[in-house]
Amino acid sequence: MKRNNYSIGLIAVVLCLMAFLVQAQDKAEKGTIKIDLAYHQMNNDLPVIKVSAKTRKNKKFQPVEGVEISLFFNTETSQGFLGRVETSTNGAASLSLPVRFKAQFDSLFSFKFIGTLIQNDSFQDQSTELEITKAKIELTLEDIDSARTIHAKVLAFQDTGWVAQPETEIKLVVRRLMSDLTATEEETFTTDKNGDAAAEFSLNIPGDAQGNIIIGARIDDHEMYGSLVSTKAAKWGVPLASDSFAKSFTKRTLWATRDKTPLWLLIFPNLIIVTVWGIIFYLIYQINRIKKLGRTNDPV
Amino acid sequence: MSQLTNASKITTDLLPQKFGTGGRIWTGILVVLCLLGLYGYYRQVTLGLVVTNMRDYASWGIYISNFVFFVAISLVGSLITAIFRLASVEWRTPLTRIAEIIAVSAILFASIIIIVDMGRPERFTHLFLYGRLQSPIMWDVIVITTYLTISVLFLYFPLLHDLPILIKNSKDGSVRQKFYKFIGSFWKGTAAQFRISENAVRIISVMIIPVALAIHTVTSWLFATTYRPGWDSTNFGAYFVSGAFLVGAGGVVVAMYVFRKAYKLESYITEKHFDNMSKIVVLLALVYLYFNINEYLVPAFKMKKAEEHHLRSLFIGDFARLFWTAIVMSMIVPVVVLLFPKGRKPFPAFVMGLFVVVGAWFKRYLIVTPTMLSPFLPMYDVPDSYKRYFPSWEEWAITTGSLAGTLLIITIFTRLFPIIPIHETIEEMENIKHEKT
Repeated sequence: MKRNNYSIGLIAVVLCLMAFLVQAQDKAEKGTIKIDLAYHQMNNDLPVIKVSAKTRKNKKFQPVEGVEISLFFNTETSQGFLGRVETSTNGAASLSLPVRFKAQFDSLFSFKFIGTLIQNDSFQDQSTELEITKAKIELTLEDIDSARTIHAKVLAFQDTGWVAQPETEIKLVVRRLMSDLTATEEETFTTDKNGDAAAEFSLNIPGDAQGNIIIGARIDDHEMYGSLVSTKAAKWGVPLASDSFAKSFTKRTLWATRDKTPLWLLIFPNLIIVTVWGIIFYLIYQINRIKKLGRTNDPV
Repeated sequence: MSQLTNASKITTDLLPQKFGTGGRIWTGILVVLCLLGLYGYYRQVTLGLVVTNMRDYASWGIYISNFVFFVAISLVGSLITAIFRLASVEWRTPLTRIAEIIAVSAILFASIIIIVDMGRPERFTHLFLYGRLQSPIMWDVIVITTYLTISVLFLYFPLLHDLPILIKNSKDGSVRQKFYKFIGSFWKGTAAQFRISENAVRIISVMIIPVALAIHTVTSWLFATTYRPGWDSTNFGAYFVSGAFLVGAGGVVVAMYVFRKAYKLESYITEKHFDNMSKIVVLLALVYLYFNINEYLVPAFKMKKAEEHHLRSLFIGDFARLFWTAIVMSMIVPVVVLLFPKGRKPFPAFVMGLFVVVGAWFKRYLIVTPTMLSPFLPMYDVPDSYKRYFPSWEEWAITTGSLAGTLLIITIFTRLFPIIPIHETIEEMENIKHEKT
């Protein structure tokens, strides 16, 4: 009996030790993750929340792929739940503020976004917050006597309504396909006491067939306002030589359709092809001659 | 040739022989590999190119490398048969048919593998119906079709001389005899027939050289007319042609050894043939090495930012081991070994030939893949897996199947036809006797 008690006690101790070890191992294996939130708003529309997840490995931050992060608006409850995003290979994900939050978003002058990671197999639970003061850029384009000026006014939403924001760094740009191009001589401007920044537009760049280009004003990663972009189309570009592509397709060019092959490329290769294949057909004809000779001659 | 006493002995020695156990196993393995390749292609056709590991970055993969390899090795037909004939190289006779059948089977599979690379193979005919002459791909289609036709003719004309011997020595009324009669019962060996045949072979010998150079130059232009790191070179035509001559010569050395052993042709394919072919391999390897130095050293000296990724991936990056192995294996080691008379003996020459051929296959892979993975303008936000390429099992199966198919054609050909021209060998022996008397 005594021996049985010892055995049961020993098994219990071993089980406890194993459970402890497994738990300890579990804890030891879980890494820490760094979640960053960024706020992007374009043309005063509903914002996009960008998420990035990184972890520290070998003294370097590396993006974390495939983690699910829950996003909340103002409160970490089911009422404030925006959605869940999964990070890409670059450790990035994004979510537009759902339309059901529009009324709430419009009424507030400051708000916060919360990103949380819980119950992940590889990483410890993590939560991060981003507080934003609602702001906007009013963009005005002036074209008086060929003098083109870009005006941008930065305003923040406060108790009294929209209030101009001085001392804010802003960029005036032309939006192109791959990235933004600085539209003025200075790369950045700081708004004056009226929240204004203005500069002359003197770029000579191609637009669409009508000369339309997209002018923009941009605030990047501001600690209070996040990233804001305001854009407007203007006929300030050089019109793309009207349907130049279409015209070139009617000419004999290397990129035209097959019936518009350049003459030199038709003549010389075809001369070679006809010559070589002419000889090949001559050789096939020779086989035919050998056949005929075989039928008419006796074997040697 | 001293051992060869009479025409009947030559005929007996050179007539196609039945496969032994080894031959049957070899053919069986090739058939299985071909069937595996067909199954891989069936999956590719039914499921789409998604079964391959080609994606937005590496849109040209192992199929195109294999295509370039086939085109390269096919160049050997013009080297051995045409250039040696025009240069009156006397010892060429036992090698001409080997070279020609390698050329025909390789170029045939080059045409097939390019269709395999197509997403919509049923639209293959569109190349002929709607092809634009402005496109280098169209030039390749034209030149491959031309080269295949000329190579078949080049194989066929000298084969006519052997057909009466084959008809005579095959079983009366057998399928094989009917086949021989179908393709050449009209050859009676009259003076007029010989005159026409000799004239035709002379014409082809002259014509096939520019066409052979064109086929490989045009294939190089498929790359060189595309603005990409590693391909943007004015030297590419000569670089490809020199590489093609090398792999072709290496392939002939390998085939010479295999046929010599398998069919006991030691009296016909002699050590002198290995010695001479080895010297040619050394010359061609040195020429190809020279072009390689040009292709890699000059861009590496400048190390333009946009080309840095490509060059580093070859020299010290992901492809470094393969790159240096290919350079050392297919060029440096053969040159060193074959420079010594002992290295030019049949077996070492055969091993060096294998090194050249295998190294050349990987060299083509290195011409295609690393460049595809190093675009001048990297794509934005693509999955990380797109930036790497390793062929899927379907791609390996199809590629191996195509290589096996080439060998299968050569194997079947040797079962049906003499791999060394009988008539020409007898004629040569009689000429030697005549000169002696």
